[in-house]
Amino acid sequence: MSIKILIVEDDAQIRSFVSYALTNEHYETVSADCAARALQQIEDASPDIMILDLGLPDMDGKEVIRKVRESSLMPILVVSARDRENEKVAALDMGADDYLTKPFSATELMARVRVAARHLSQTPAKPEMSRLCVRSLMIDPEKRLTYLNGEEIHLTPMEYQLLLFMMKNAGKVLTSGAIISELWGSGYGNDTQSLRALMAGLRRKIEKNPGKPEYIVTEIGVGYRMKEE
Amino acid sequence: MNIQRIRAVLLTAAIFAAASIIGYIFYRAGFPDASIALVYLLAVLFSVRQTSSFLTGLITSFAATFIFNYFFAEPRFTLAVNDPNYYITFLIMTVTALAVSTLTARVHRDAQTAREREQEVKAIYMLTNRLSDAADMNAIAEIASVAISEGLDCSAGCLCFDKNGIPQQTYVYQPRGKERSLIHREPERKEELVFRLNHLQDDHDEGEEFFDWPLFSGEDILGMIRIDRKDAEAMNPAQRRMLRSMIDSAALAMDRLRTSEQRMQSREEAARERYRANLLRSISHDIRTPLTGIIGTSEMLRSRLTDDPESYGMAEHIQKDAEWLHSLVENILTLTRLQDADLKISMETEVVEEIVGGAVGRVTEHHPEYDIEVVLPEELLMAPMDAKLIEQVIINLLENSIKHSPAGSPISVSVSRGAALWMLQTEESRKAASDWQNMVTISVRDAGSGIRESDIPRIFELFYSDEKRQVRGQRSFGLGLSICETIVRAHSGVIAARNREDRAGAEFAFALPLQKGDTVL
Repeated sequence: MSIKILIVEDDAQIRSFVSYALTNEHYETVSADCAARALQQIEDASPDIMILDLGLPDMDGKEVIRKVRESSLMPILVVSARDRENEKVAALDMGADDYLTKPFSATELMARVRVAARHLSQTPAKPEMSRLCVRSLMIDPEKRLTYLNGEEIHLTPMEYQLLLFMMKNAGKVLTSGAIISELWGSGYGNDTQSLRALMAGLRRKIEKNPGKPEYIVTEIGVGYRMKEE
Repeated sequence: MNIQRIRAVLLTAAIFAAASIIGYIFYRAGFPDASIALVYLLAVLFSVRQTSSFLTGLITSFAATFIFNYFFAEPRFTLAVNDPNYYITFLIMTVTALAVSTLTARVHRDAQTAREREQEVKAIYMLTNRLSDAADMNAIAEIASVAISEGLDCSAGCLCFDKNGIPQQTYVYQPRGKERSLIHREPERKEELVFRLNHLQDDHDEGEEFFDWPLFSGEDILGMIRIDRKDAEAMNPAQRRMLRSMIDSAALAMDRLRTSEQRMQSREEAARERYRANLLRSISHDIRTPLTGIIGTSEMLRSRLTDDPESYGMAEHIQKDAEWLHSLVENILTLTRLQDADLKISMETEVVEEIVGGAVGRVTEHHPEYDIEVVLPEELLMAPMDAKLIEQVIINLLENSIKHSPAGSPISVSVSRGAALWMLQTEESRKAASDWQNMVTISVRDAGSGIRESDIPRIFELFYSDEKRQVRGQRSFGLGLSICETIVRAHSGVIAARNREDRAGAEFAFALPLQKGDTVL
């Protein structure tokens, strides 16, 4: 059974190009040009993944995410203009899984959709203590050990917590705010400086060149992403 | 003045004559001397009331005593007296008259001063009141001329100066004693007049025909009040004081009007500027949406045309052009955002290598044919910045390098502490980088064609685009580099360009102030 993707986009040309690109890769697509129709489509066609443009004419994109999240855990990929960082961050914090910035290429789009599709096939509730792997990086939560290329590397407790959280959410964009409240608790405020410093320390241990990270990449102005491939 | 004095003397004489007649009646009726003396005291009182002067009091007091002595004290019609007791009477009479006259004179004088003050205040109040309704400088000039002319009974004029401190062609002039009949007159020898007003020793200038008072706002002359020389010279201190107050009121009104005019003008300019920026921004926004469609569709088209090289090339061309157009639109959006006066850059302390890594990642995605080397120092450098803007600077510099160097040629980005000496060639950059040790430099080096030396000083100017480094025909607008400069400057940093010394190629570098105080690490 092929994966069904809902495209919510008010611009007809973008809608048709996205639809074409996805069909080309053997995905099934349904589309909607406004939020009301999108919510209707979710009920009627029960899609697996949603691609949501945040600039819809009839409803705030965040509101759409909130409504969808009331009943569904389907991966949501938001699309927005480049100068709307805050909108993106808010959408991710509302429960969106990933984002694309206009204009995006078909290659970028397909990469994001593949990540979302892979997460669909995985069993949603993973046992807490199972080992996590991303390419040559492996983490063993039971023994609290981390391996890179089969060799054990020594992380501080905070670095370990950070890496574990990133690996659990591999492929997803995590906002700085989400990581901070996971690591330090939600009462800690928005002290990105500590996170930045912690991340720099972790990168020096897991990346060949912290200036060209291969595992955890920075989405400037948004957050971080553990790259799966 | 003289007439007044003669009138006062005559009146005093009349009062004393009347007193003497009444005294004579009393004398004939056989009233005691004291009653007659009291009549004379009354005469002194009336006389002083007329003139309210201390001198009158003094003279009349003695005069009353002597007249009483002459007419009524025995022996009559001489100044001699038979009874020595009269000396006591004279003494007491003189002292009483003096005391009474002095008090009366003072009361009168105070009352008169109060009346004058009241009039003065009323006149100034009327002037201020009318001035507050004035719509422009000329209205103020007219109101002030009329008010000064009426209030001080003189011929008065008012000349306005324009914003550049140049007097107007004519000034309004209200002749004395004519009710609101303003004349427009031409000032004589204007340059000389301006010079004199600007080099005053006193608060006014005394010409042959007129006295001129400048109306100042700080150092600038807004106007001038002119009064006929003979009128001005005849003014008493109270009138001078009143004139001063009226001049101050007029100056204040002109200043207020000028300030509000300037504020209105700058507000209009700002609104126009904002409108222009908004227009540009909304057009750019509107262009962006179809561009996404064009870029995506041409890419899909290309993927279906792999076996038709000619069509493939055309589709690729569409895509490249659309991408170029998109980067232009993004640059315009960034520029309008930066020029928006309301925009405050939101600075946060960032790890420099992280921003570099993010930017390099973005560029590599679009240009996988270039291998961009990243060189970092051991220490962790943190600097306050708007991460998105600094990312844009690095991306623009990298794309500039890519544009000017062949595919596959090495490009490197390096991060280091301190600003390099070669970046501080201009006075301005030395000033910005006075604390150069506590800065971080991000430098982009390419192995491309380099920059013509003559272009280096102007390379960051808006719309400056050098011909030698232009590879893609006529289309570079030079926006990218000038945006870099604008952003770096907004971060109190410096940016510079040079040709590499070790090999062919260009180096673009910018330095930002490091985070002050202790870093968290």
